[in-house]
Amino acid sequence: MISDIRRSLPRGAWWVLNLALTVLFLSPLVVMLSMAFKSKGDQGHIPPTLLPAHPTLASFRRLTSVQGLNIFHNLLNSVMVSLSATLLVVLFASMAGYGIARTKFPGAGAVFFIALASFMIPFQAILTPLYMLLKTMGLNNSLVGLTLVYITFNLPFALFIMRNAFASVPTTLEEAARVDGCGTIRAIVQIMLPIVKPGLITAGLMAFFSTWNEFFAALILVTSQEKFTLPVTLTMVASGSFGQIDWGSLQAGVALTIIPCIVVYLLLQRYYVSGMLSGALK
Amino acid sequence: MIPRTIRVVAVATTFGLGLLAAGCSSNSGGSQSASGNGTPTGTITVWARDAEKDFMGNLVKQYNSSHQVQAQLTIIPSANFVQKLGTAAAAGNGPDVSSLDLVFAPYFASTGVLEDITSTYDSLSYKDQFVPGHVAQSTWQGKIYALPFTGDASVLFYNKDLFKKAGLDPNKPPTTWAEIRSDAKKITALGKGTYGFTFAGACGGCNVFEFTPYIWASGGSVLSDDGKKATLDSSQVTDALQFYRDMWTDGSMPSAAETDSGNQQIPLFTTGKVGMTALGAFAIPSFDAAKMNYAATPLPGKDGGTASFAGGDVITVINGTKNPAGAADFVKWATDTQAQTWLAKNGSAPIRKDLLESVYAKQGQPYAEVAKGLEVGKVPFSVVENAIFNDNNGPWVKMIHDSVFTGNIQAAQSTGQQAAQKLIDQAS
Amino acid sequence: MSTSTASLNQKPLARGIRSTRGTGLSTQRKILGALFALPTVVMIATFFLVPLGMTFWMSFNRWPLLGKHKWIGLENYSTALSDSNFLQALKFTLEYTVIITPILLVFGFGLAVLVRRGDRPARFFQSVYFMPVAIGLASASFLWLFMTQSQIGPLWDLMRRIGLISATSNLFAGHWSSLMVVNAMVTWKVVGLQMLLLLSGLQSIPDEVSEAARVDGASGWQRLWYITVPLLRPTLALVLVFSVAGSLLAFDQFYIMTSGGPSNSTITAVYAIYRNSFIQFKLGYGAALSVLLMVILAIVSAIQMLLLRNTDHT
Repeated sequence: MISDIRRSLPRGAWWVLNLALTVLFLSPLVVMLSMAFKSKGDQGHIPPTLLPAHPTLASFRRLTSVQGLNIFHNLLNSVMVSLSATLLVVLFASMAGYGIARTKFPGAGAVFFIALASFMIPFQAILTPLYMLLKTMGLNNSLVGLTLVYITFNLPFALFIMRNAFASVPTTLEEAARVDGCGTIRAIVQIMLPIVKPGLITAGLMAFFSTWNEFFAALILVTSQEKFTLPVTLTMVASGSFGQIDWGSLQAGVALTIIPCIVVYLLLQRYYVSGMLSGALK
Repeated sequence: MIPRTIRVVAVATTFGLGLLAAGCSSNSGGSQSASGNGTPTGTITVWARDAEKDFMGNLVKQYNSSHQVQAQLTIIPSANFVQKLGTAAAAGNGPDVSSLDLVFAPYFASTGVLEDITSTYDSLSYKDQFVPGHVAQSTWQGKIYALPFTGDASVLFYNKDLFKKAGLDPNKPPTTWAEIRSDAKKITALGKGTYGFTFAGACGGCNVFEFTPYIWASGGSVLSDDGKKATLDSSQVTDALQFYRDMWTDGSMPSAAETDSGNQQIPLFTTGKVGMTALGAFAIPSFDAAKMNYAATPLPGKDGGTASFAGGDVITVINGTKNPAGAADFVKWATDTQAQTWLAKNGSAPIRKDLLESVYAKQGQPYAEVAKGLEVGKVPFSVVENAIFNDNNGPWVKMIHDSVFTGNIQAAQSTGQQAAQKLIDQAS
Repeated sequence: MSTSTASLNQKPLARGIRSTRGTGLSTQRKILGALFALPTVVMIATFFLVPLGMTFWMSFNRWPLLGKHKWIGLENYSTALSDSNFLQALKFTLEYTVIITPILLVFGFGLAVLVRRGDRPARFFQSVYFMPVAIGLASASFLWLFMTQSQIGPLWDLMRRIGLISATSNLFAGHWSSLMVVNAMVTWKVVGLQMLLLLSGLQSIPDEVSEAARVDGASGWQRLWYITVPLLRPTLALVLVFSVAGSLLAFDQFYIMTSGGPSNSTITAVYAIYRNSFIQFKLGYGAALSVLLMVILAIVSAIQMLLLRNTDHT
C-alpha cells in the first residue's frame, strides 16, 4: 500500500504537499515572531499585517514591567527549576538504574515495578494532597517544593531509560575494569558512563522539556508571582493590566518560552525522538 | 463549613503554629520590641493584591519614613489571593496586615483569619465618615474585622463625541433603561463598526460591579441582606437581564462582549467603537490618556433611581500577628487624612465621605460621579461571594451569559438561583 | 531514527546478561546498589506514594482550606454522582476525546505515509512536523489564542478572508467553534508524535507482504484494510492509548484558550477538579473527584490494554 502511494503520488505532488504542510506547521511560529517584534501601532492594525513594518524590541522591553513584574526574573526561575530538576533526575535515575540493573539488591524488582506503576497514575490526580503535603513541610509556594515535585514526576521514566541503558552494558566490561583495580564507583564513572551517555542525554532531555513546559502543577503549587515559572507568568501577561491585553508582549513571552525548546530540539533531535519513542513503547 | 466551629479551630491552628514558628526569624512574622513611651515599634509585613501595586509601594514608603514601625510590602496576584492568604494564615505564616478586596472580608472574618479590631475602629474620630458599603463588609456578627481602605464605584461612562454624532445631547445622559437602549440604538446606527453599549459577558467580577446596580436601583437584590438566601430568580433580575438581552438582539453590542473576560471594555471605549459602558474609577486614567471627550453618569434603575457597587479594598490585621500594636498602627494610619488624601490624588478613591467631597470629587466630572456612587454604594454580603459572583465559571456569570446571549432567561435564572443557593447552603 | 530503535532492543539483551553476573563482593555491591536507589525511593515514596494515599483519605473527608477536616465517609462520592457540573465536565471530556483521537490518528497516519520515504527531504519534513511536540502546551495555547482573536488574530483574519466566518465572528463565543480552535491547536502541537509512532510501526512491516498482495491482485484499499491495518494494530492501539489518556487529562488548553467557556461548556474533568479544590477550596471533594478520574482512566486503559494484548496473538 505504501509503495502504491509512492507510485501513485508523483514526486512533484509529494514535494508540493510537504512544502504546503511545512508552511502550515511553521506559520504559527512566524506569527509569534512577527507579533513579538511589531511596534505598538503595528500590533493593533486591523486587519493584521504579515510582518512588522518597523521591527522593534519594545514588546520584550515591556516584559520587564508587567503588573510590576520583571518577566526575565521569571525566566530565571524557569531556568533554575528546569536545570536543577533535570540534573537531579538524571543523577538519581542513573544511580538507581545502576543499582537495579547491576547489583540486583533485594527489592530492586519492587522498586522498578512501583516506579513503572506510577506511570499509570496521572499526577493531576494527586496534586491536591501534594499541595497539602508541601504546605505541611513549609514548602508550598516555593521553587524548591516545585523542583522536588518535578523530580518525582520525571524520575520513573528516567529510571526506566537508565536501568535499560546500564543493563545493556556487557558485564565483562565492568568486571575487566574492576580487575584492573578500579573501585566500583570509578568503574561506573570511567567505563560505564560513557557507554550509557545516550541514555543520560535522553533522560535529561525528557526531564528538561517536561519541567520547562509544565503548567498545571506550577499554577497550583506556586502562588507568588515573583516565583512563577514562565508558562504561568504568561497567564499574568494575558490577563492584561488596566483592563487591556498587551498581545505583543504576550507573544514576546511565548517566544521566550518556545525558542529554547526549539533550539534544544534542533540540536539534540535524535535523542528527543528516541526518548519520545521509548516513552510511548515503555 | 460551620463558621463558628471553624473559626475557633482556625484561630487555634493559627496560634498553635504561630507559637511553633515564634522561635524562628520567619520572614513574614512581625516582631515587636518594647518602647518606653508606648509608641509601637518593630516590623510588620503587609500584603496587597497586584492591582494596588502602584500606589501601595509609595504608601508604605510614606509610612516607614514617618513611623518607628517599619512595614514591608508583598504583592500577591489577585487570581490567587484568597488561596494564598488562606493557606498562609492556616499555616501561621501569614502577614501582619493585609489589604484585601472587600468582597472577601466576610469569608476571612468568618473563618477566623482576621483579628477583631472593633476597638481600633471605635477609636477613630472619623469613623462616621466611612462609606457604608465598606463598613458593612467589614462587619461580622456585630464585630469589626477590617477598616475601609481604598474605594471605587461603578458608573456609566459615555462618549460625548459619539452622542453628538448620533444626534443625542451629550449633556443629557440616559436616566432609565429605555433611554440607554434607545441611545445605544442611535449610536449603533452610526455604522462603521460602532456600537452603543458593551459589557464583559464572561467576567463574574465585572458584572457584580457593573450589573447589580441596575437591579438595586430598581428595588431588587441578588442576595438577602444576611447573605443566606440567593434572590437571583427575582423579577427585578429578570427585567435587568431582559434589558441586556434586548440590547444584544438590537445589535447594539459588539460580538466581543460575549467572550469578554474583562479586558475588552476599555479598548473598545477608548478607540471610539462603543458609546456607553459601565466601569469604575480605575478606567479613568486610560480614558484620559486616550484624550477622550467623555463623561460619567450614575447607573440607573429600570424607570429611574440610581445605584452603585462600592468596590475597593479593606485593610485588615491578620489573626496571630506578633506585632498587634504595629499592625493596628498601620491600618489606622492607612485610613487617616494624610494617607487618604494622598490616595485620592494618586488614583484611588478615598473611603471617607469628607475626603471624597473635599478632595476627590474636585478632580473632575467622572471623579465626582464615582464619589457620589461610592457614598451610597452597596456590596452583596456573602461568605461565598467569590464562588457565586467573582468566579468566572460561577452561577452568576453563567446566568447573565446564558440570558443575554441565548435568551432563555427563565431557565438561566432558575439554574443560577439553585446553584447559588447550593453554594450558600454548603458553606453553612 | 537509527538511535531510536537502539534503546528498544535493550531489554532482551539485559535479560541475557543478568544470569552471568559475577558473584564476588556481591553483598557489598548489593548494599551499594540499595544505597544508590535510595534517593529515588525516598522521592517517589514522599511525593508520590504519600500523596496518593492522602488522596484516598482526603476523599472521605470534608476538607476546607481553612479549619478542621471531618470524616464524612462516602458523602463526597455520592455528591459527585449527582453533581451536574462534574457530570457535565466528564461528558465534555469524553466528547473532546472522541473528537480529537480520530483526528490525530488520521492526520498522524497521513503524515507518517508522507515521510516514510526516509530520504533526506523526507527526514527534513519529518523533523518539521515533529517540532511542535517540543513546544509546551501552555505556550502553544497562548500562541493560538492570539492567532484566533477576533479582528487582530491572523488566523481569524485568514478565515474571514476566505469566507469561513463573518466579519463579526467571535470564535470563542460558540461551543463548537471554541472546541474546533482547541482541536486545531492540539493537532498542530501533538500530531507529530502520532506520526512518529505510526512511522515506526509502518517501518516494521516488510514491504514484501504488501507487494505480494499487490501481485495477487489486491487493490490499494484492500491492502490497506486487510494487510497494513492488521499488521499495524499494536501501533494503532498504542497511539490510541496515548491520545486517549492525554485527552482525558486535558486542562492547559481549555484553561488558557476558552477559560471553560462559553457558559462553562468546555470545562474538562481536571478543570472541574481544579475548580473544586482551588477555587471553591473543597479539597476533600476535589480528592474524591480525583479518585473517580483515576478509576475511569484505569478502566479505559485496561480496555485498551486488552486490545493491545489481543493483537499480540494475531
